[in-house]
Amino acid sequence: MPIASRIKTELIDTLKETVAKIVQQASSLKNCKYADVRLGIQETKYAHAENGKAKGMGEDSSISFGIRMLAGEMSAWGFYGQPIGETESNPKSFSKIVTQGMNRAHARALANSNKKAEFKAIAPSLAEVHLAKIDIRQDTIGAVFDEDPGNVPLKEVLALCTKISGEMQGICEDVQYASLDVQTGIRRELFCSAEGACIDQSSALTQGMVAVVAQKAGGVPEVCYDYLGDLRGWEVIKGKNIYMQSLNDFALLRTHETLELTEADFLPATNGPVVVVTNPHFNALLVHEIVGHPTEADRALKLETAYAGRSWLLRDLHDNELGRQIASPLVSAYSDPSIHGYGHYRFDAEGTPAKRVNLIEKGVFKEFMNGREYAAVLNCPPNGSMRATEPGSVPLVRMTNTVFAQGNKPPAEIIAEVKEGYFIVNHRIPSISESRENFRISAQKVYKIENGKLTKLYRQGGITSDSKDFLMNVDAVGNDFAVFPIPNCGKGQPMQVMRVGNGGPTLRSKARLTGRQEL
Amino acid sequence: MISLEEIRSCVRNGIEFVKRQKDVIDAEIFVSWNELVTVRLNYTSDIPCNGVHEPKSTQFCGIGLLAVFKTGKEIKIGFGSVSNNITSKGITEAFSKAKKNKIHDPDFKSLPVPISKPVLENYHDPAVMEMSDEAIVDLGWRGLKGALAEYNQKGFNKTIIIGGDITITKERMAIANTKGIDDFDESTILTTNITSMIEKERVKGTGWNTSTHLSGFHPDDAGRESAESAIRTIGGERIPSGTYNVVFGRQPVTDLFINLVIPALSLSSVNTSDTPFLGKLGQRVASELLTVYDDGAIRGVIGSKKISCEGIPTGRTDLIHNGFLAGFLANNYFSKKLANKFVSFMPRNGFRFEKGGRSHTIQPRICPTNIVIEGREEVPGQSLLSKINDGIYIGRIWYTYPINGLAAGDFTSTIIADSFMVKGGSIVKPLKPNTVRINNNITDILNKIIAISSDKKETIVWGGEEVVLAPEIAVHDVRLDNISGFTL
Repeated sequence: MPIASRIKTELIDTLKETVAKIVQQASSLKNCKYADVRLGIQETKYAHAENGKAKGMGEDSSISFGIRMLAGEMSAWGFYGQPIGETESNPKSFSKIVTQGMNRAHARALANSNKKAEFKAIAPSLAEVHLAKIDIRQDTIGAVFDEDPGNVPLKEVLALCTKISGEMQGICEDVQYASLDVQTGIRRELFCSAEGACIDQSSALTQGMVAVVAQKAGGVPEVCYDYLGDLRGWEVIKGKNIYMQSLNDFALLRTHETLELTEADFLPATNGPVVVVTNPHFNALLVHEIVGHPTEADRALKLETAYAGRSWLLRDLHDNELGRQIASPLVSAYSDPSIHGYGHYRFDAEGTPAKRVNLIEKGVFKEFMNGREYAAVLNCPPNGSMRATEPGSVPLVRMTNTVFAQGNKPPAEIIAEVKEGYFIVNHRIPSISESRENFRISAQKVYKIENGKLTKLYRQGGITSDSKDFLMNVDAVGNDFAVFPIPNCGKGQPMQVMRVGNGGPTLRSKARLTGRQEL
Repeated sequence: MISLEEIRSCVRNGIEFVKRQKDVIDAEIFVSWNELVTVRLNYTSDIPCNGVHEPKSTQFCGIGLLAVFKTGKEIKIGFGSVSNNITSKGITEAFSKAKKNKIHDPDFKSLPVPISKPVLENYHDPAVMEMSDEAIVDLGWRGLKGALAEYNQKGFNKTIIIGGDITITKERMAIANTKGIDDFDESTILTTNITSMIEKERVKGTGWNTSTHLSGFHPDDAGRESAESAIRTIGGERIPSGTYNVVFGRQPVTDLFINLVIPALSLSSVNTSDTPFLGKLGQRVASELLTVYDDGAIRGVIGSKKISCEGIPTGRTDLIHNGFLAGFLANNYFSKKLANKFVSFMPRNGFRFEKGGRSHTIQPRICPTNIVIEGREEVPGQSLLSKINDGIYIGRIWYTYPINGLAAGDFTSTIIADSFMVKGGSIVKPLKPNTVRINNNITDILNKIIAISSDKKETIVWGGEEVVLAPEIAVHDVRLDNISGFTL
């Protein structure tokens, strides 16, 4: 019996020349205006255990490609993507399958262009696609890690999951369910365009997901899901992460916190706003929903109207919030793929060099995250914010490491200044209005603040507010900046689930409290 | 495209191969080919746009192999998958991975056994399997035309947005195991969901259309319906926060069931103790008017399949019957694992849905097919308004989540379109979109149902895998909060 042969990331070295050649040949296709090919290989080890019992493990790799093409008199998009198998991964077979894909993308782009021209009479805003200019680059970026995921024995990954989930469940009989998922691996992606770009980027990813359900006899279950992870190697699991905790300690802490909550009272909702202090973990989801998503240019330009909604920051190209005060002067926010976190990269999925995008500066809205097509529509430079979950999917504007900027006040001081208010700790689940203009986000824990001190713990609470009101009412920003891993941001059709980094420091503002729904 | 014959041949050869391997006492081989075609629409009358933004597709095929090993007294199971290679070499590689990945899971009991004969045969459309790129692109423009024509005819041509998509799913699969299962399935699904707006009027409308066959698929109707609905809600007004009697239209009913009710009626939620229905089997959990079941064997409905991804024929699984909790959705693994806690539930819902197809890369999880909602005494849709007399008709909600976890049942959602105020049993004026947030508990909603309509429609929502045969439902005392002083 042969040992299972697997595709390795090194295969890209063999296929790079073939990809570059095919994409250059695309220029000779009828009315082809632009083409790019992304080829990706991912090697992953994973394991899962529940309540101390092994549930699964695996070590696998996948390879896929995606082709974008602009073609036709009235330049229009066509796209094709698919995974391939090991038997097709030699240059000859690969060349054949990618060329077929190129022809499909071309046929779709031409058909689309013809229809666009036909409809122009009844739909005058139909326009040729223009891509804003970028520096055409060739570069190779390696993965960063201390402990190579490839060297971690698979059985060690499973043993860790089994041990920790067993310890979680063993804390107390009120722990109804304890589970742990761990993955570690390397992803490498090649981007080649007909313009001559050739960018080869690799990154490591290691992540642990903890799930706990705890319940007192006859009580309402308390549920906690949380993640620990980074674009690094196995060292993440041992403590090189934002929490500076091993996965074991992180999982046990979340279990203890969940158990503590089963004995807490439900948070009473309020009819009006109260003073709230939100911690960095909670603000990770807050900035994601009310700043990150509405500052995506494709959403602002209405492309997500049928799915994830529009943006409260742009009504149209002439009536929008650009240059206007939308937050307290204490609030700045930016999206920065150059800093560490799940949103880190050097080039986006269009080959545009990554850069920090200042979204809000001292309360004034400054800029959208964009891609080349949307930059051309908005008449501004591309800022490198396009990503796809995998090469077979179309790139979209995505958050990178999107955060509230650091302030200068110690968080203890922010709480100490509150005579009466609430401390909102760690995010849970969001529900956001259509244009992100209003939100309700639940928290893992809420503490009452009385005379500057945390006095009572509540469960199943959260806050709700109009986004602008919350941002304008911020009167303190902490110096405890942190970026957290958000592994599951959904966008697009078919929906793509993307990893992004979100965070910021402690904030103090005003919002209504939400609590357990009275029955 | 890979033929059904190739897929079946791979499965059968694979079973023969695995039977010969040392220490293997049982095995299951799943092979599939899938293509997901999406044509995304984006028309903005005041911003340069593409109309049809991008026609795109992804396809995938391969082998998923689960083997049961016995070494000494210990039973171990292992899963391995191989993409784009359904040859004997692919089988060998998948088996090799399964062997390497094997673990001892004490909750694994055994592979599924044949249960009955499938109800559905030959229910897919060969014409969909063979569609050209030009024909695919044309469907997108037809959807756009339906909406544009309606807006143009009614004199609306500024601040128009038309978005959404045409989605075509083509699936072929076969499965065999050492317990005697040996079957195949082939399905085609066409859906369109179109949302359009007149932004300056702050109105949004939705239209959708679904079919298993090209001849019954009408994206232009969906486009027109979305425009009609948007125009109908011009002049909407706000309402104050309070408790209202409500009629939920088909899209909100679908949203509530897909995001809250159905996940809570799955054995996977029972397994994690994260459902408000835990320990309530046989008890009343909803109004006695309400019956809910899953039925994957309804001909012509897009959620239908001949067999599950474990080879079990689809059929009806009762979930709530006349308000009483009657069952949970199950796959083979959880049905057997939890058999000691409950009666054993028929494992009809073990599917490998992922990335818009039946994926060889994952093991079966519990997925709904067609969710059917019925009333004990159904009434015509129009009568629902007189049942609530004064209140709100809610036609579309958005971002519905169990805000305090599924088990708590609390949820929140915003009303974004297609909604009206009701007075004296009649619609009197539109509700302003994006100004109302629903804050409630789903178990409370289920218990406060006062009427269910007899007319149902296949309804889908973004991100959902299942289809709901959705009626409209009247509910009393629903908490609605006025929100968003800052609106677009």
